[in-house]
Amino acid sequence: MTTSQFLISGWSWNPIVIGISMAALAIYGAVFRGERRIWFVLAALAVFLLALVSPINALADGYLFSAHMLQHILLLLIVPALLLLSIPREFAFAQRTGALATKRARVCQPAAVLAHPLAGWLAGVGSMWLWHAPALCNAAATSKPVYAAQTISLLAFGSVFWWQVLAPREEDRLSPPAAVLYLFTACTACSALGIILTFSPVPVCRVYMHVQDRLGLLGTIRGAWAITPEKDQQLGGLLMWVPMCTIYLGAVLAQLARWFSLGRTTEHAR
Amino acid sequence: MNPPSAVLTHHGLLTIEQKNHWHAAWISTVDHKRLGILYMLTALVFFVIGGIEALFIRLQLAVPNNHLLQPDTFNMLFTMHGTTMIFLVVMPVVFGLANYLVPLQVGARDMAFPRLNAFGFWIVPLGGILLHFSILAGGAPAVGWFAYAPLSETPYSSQLGVDYWALALLVLGIGSVSTAINIIGTVLCMRAPGMTLRRLPLFTWINFINAFIVVLAIPVLNAGLVMLLIDRRLDAHFFLPPGGGSAIMWQHIFWAFGHPEVYILALPAFGIISEVIPVFSRKPIFGYEFVAGSTVAIAILSFSVWAHHMFTVGLGRVADTFFAAASMLIAIPTGVKVLNWSVTMFGGRIRYTTAMLFGIAFLVQFTCGGLSGISHAIVPLDWQTKNSYYLVAHFHFVAVGGIVFAVFAGLFYWFPKITGRMLSERLGRWTFWLMTIGFNMTFIIQHFLGLAGMPRRVFTYPDLPGWGWMNMVSTIGAFFMAAASMIFVYNVVNTLVRGAPAGDNPWNAWTLEWATSSPPPHENFHALPPIHSRRPLWDVANPSRPDPVVGTHGVIDTISPDKNKTAIITFILSEAGFFGVLILAFLYYNANPQPGPGPKDLNLFKTGIFSLCLFASSFTLWRSEAGLHRKDHRAMKWWLAATILLGGIFVVGQGLEYWGLFKSGVTLSTNLFSTTFFTLTGFHGLHVCVGLIALLIMLVMALVGDFATRQSTALGAVGLYWHFVDVVWVFVLTFVYILPHWR
Repeated sequence: MTTSQFLISGWSWNPIVIGISMAALAIYGAVFRGERRIWFVLAALAVFLLALVSPINALADGYLFSAHMLQHILLLLIVPALLLLSIPREFAFAQRTGALATKRARVCQPAAVLAHPLAGWLAGVGSMWLWHAPALCNAAATSKPVYAAQTISLLAFGSVFWWQVLAPREEDRLSPPAAVLYLFTACTACSALGIILTFSPVPVCRVYMHVQDRLGLLGTIRGAWAITPEKDQQLGGLLMWVPMCTIYLGAVLAQLARWFSLGRTTEHAR
Repeated sequence: MNPPSAVLTHHGLLTIEQKNHWHAAWISTVDHKRLGILYMLTALVFFVIGGIEALFIRLQLAVPNNHLLQPDTFNMLFTMHGTTMIFLVVMPVVFGLANYLVPLQVGARDMAFPRLNAFGFWIVPLGGILLHFSILAGGAPAVGWFAYAPLSETPYSSQLGVDYWALALLVLGIGSVSTAINIIGTVLCMRAPGMTLRRLPLFTWINFINAFIVVLAIPVLNAGLVMLLIDRRLDAHFFLPPGGGSAIMWQHIFWAFGHPEVYILALPAFGIISEVIPVFSRKPIFGYEFVAGSTVAIAILSFSVWAHHMFTVGLGRVADTFFAAASMLIAIPTGVKVLNWSVTMFGGRIRYTTAMLFGIAFLVQFTCGGLSGISHAIVPLDWQTKNSYYLVAHFHFVAVGGIVFAVFAGLFYWFPKITGRMLSERLGRWTFWLMTIGFNMTFIIQHFLGLAGMPRRVFTYPDLPGWGWMNMVSTIGAFFMAAASMIFVYNVVNTLVRGAPAGDNPWNAWTLEWATSSPPPHENFHALPPIHSRRPLWDVANPSRPDPVVGTHGVIDTISPDKNKTAIITFILSEAGFFGVLILAFLYYNANPQPGPGPKDLNLFKTGIFSLCLFASSFTLWRSEAGLHRKDHRAMKWWLAATILLGGIFVVGQGLEYWGLFKSGVTLSTNLFSTTFFTLTGFHGLHVCVGLIALLIMLVMALVGDFATRQSTALGAVGLYWHFVDVVWVFVLTFVYILPHWR
């Protein structure tokens, strides 16, 4: 199969994925009628489909570790962030309002635990590290249920991670300087994993070393694209290390911009 | 000439004996202003030494086929020159300025930890002496400032030079981290009322961000240095390929530190320029937020581009591509700053003082150096020009044309504040022009030498067309710079003796350091002006048209956390970097099972039991802290004692494990597993022992009733450290003991 043939035929029209996308759009439209932030939802769904329907998904499915990594980044960092941004600002989730009354009540609520910065940080960083433990990485690439669990967990953990920074209500978010530290340390922790993957002398995800050529694509990948398994793993590590860090960096800059624009209204109001 | 004492005597705060003591007390001082001056004087001494080394290098290279110096001597000279200039000149002088000015700019009385500050300073001469002692101990290091393995290993550098080099840098690194922690503590915890985080002067803000780079980058070098020392003194093979080690690993570790280090040196220079250019353009800085924000961007990016120092090593085209892109990315926030400074000058009433002249020269020359830096991010070009004089020219454009010029700008700007006297502008102009002409003569031409193919670090060269005269021009330029430096030193000495008095605010500047006398009294301020904006003195001088008020939205702007906990958390960040490198090294070296002892020789069951003790000690310490919180001092003491007991059991357990391994013939140098195992667990054990000592001190304090009589956050701070040590053990236990069994 040549590159162009693959780009045409490599789409995986998974009815569940498309169904979920449609349902999400419908629910959003029903709950937030006429909300202009619907563009964020559309963008989130576009990225979601890019990750799970486009040829990236076919490549990630047992062919290329780097494509799997790209999918991982899109699902963990981009989709949940866009979804959180799509919620109208200052929107309060009903079940949370009463729970904030006392500290004790807050600790008892599972949702409140998830809203703790440490939980957010561990969710974001942990899902990166955990799914790249060799055993789990292999399992996700070979077993459909594990793969589904991985996808769901990435979206869920990604939402918990970004909640600290992008929650709809100001009081649920970290203060900007704290958010900068939060994002920077997460970036460092993910970079460390990227460094390991890039320079690891052994394969991390063995599935991608011994490809089962279901689509007849392997010749093109190794030949025309010139991607060897070693190069593939290096590419995956570098994707996690460098572009992923620039996502965090972008978020850091957004936080600084938010910080420096706070309280602008008090100008000349001594 | 000792104005602080004069001020204090004048106010009746010192008796005659105390005043005499005050004169002798430079050695025992913990005053940030004196320590700042000591930093700068130390830097000056080493500047002279490093400068003389540079002159010898240039003399040797002045003509082709020269034999003024032996090849070995030449190697020692450029190694010492590079190491001295970076670690003993630029770092001390920027720390000195930060030490002197950060507390003044935030309206504080002193740094957060004055005694730690004194420690941080006195480490510098110790490091300098260690480095130079190598000359007496058989020869200075001759391996270049980055000491690439395996050249720096015993088989190729058998003399003690590299050992002293590594020890000196280790010691200096510890001092730098302590200073950085102090700067962070000062900015976060010591600010005057009204001096919110968003009102900080840019010099302070940039030094604050820079301190985080120091805290995170230096431990990476320290980890590499201890690995190198273990290789050299204990026959391990971290970086020796014949024993299974990896020489490339040293390069990764060194540049993972080395690239952030470039910014550790450059950011304070940016801070100086961000103060000097607005004051002498009579305009507020253009785009404060952009200068502040781009500093953060630079700090973060600086950690992820180190591999561009290694394009010629052969990382593969994939890695090269990513790092080329990332390296070009870092030019953006730097370019933003250059734009901010340029636009600040645009339309301003520029006063061409010596400080401003150096500031303008910085702007031009740093931009040139930055552009040649971007050319190094282009991989194919880098392959051709790396290790040529083109590279030498590039980093001297950044380090001299950028950093040294900025430091001169800063010295001319703040000298009146520090001494109360004005440096001679006439001599200043001589310094400036000689320096600028000499600098450009020396280094512009080196670009062409490099493109013509002259490699760096050759002790001499054949008489190729053009090489002779170009090198001669370069050497003459170096002597111009030497003359400029001598005029500057004369200017300083002359001014101290008979300089014109400066007054409180000779430049009509706007930040708080100019709101007190010159030099400031021991306690810095008698009274502070009201602070509503980023230029409080402008507001005082122009009450009719003050700067816009910078709001204090939320608590975060006015935050003032407990300084003990702040310091410990910062220290923990630093330690996490150190252990991170050791753990990564363990994973890398043990990715493939190797002959000889391995993880299967470890007794997971026994270690598991001792580990439980360690984890339990975190719980008992938490109970102890809870006891203190409830003012139940009995419970607190008992839980504390239990913590020490559990920690002690863990240490004994580790000792037994080591003993068992030694008895079966496994030592540090057996194979890479044993090397990495003992290094990682050994350093963890060392930290447990340090933690135990700290806990014992807490227990003694508790027994003598210290906690009963005053509020102290010491136990909480020590507790954070102890919990951190336990968390590190979670990782060690996972990666060293548990995961290998799973493979």
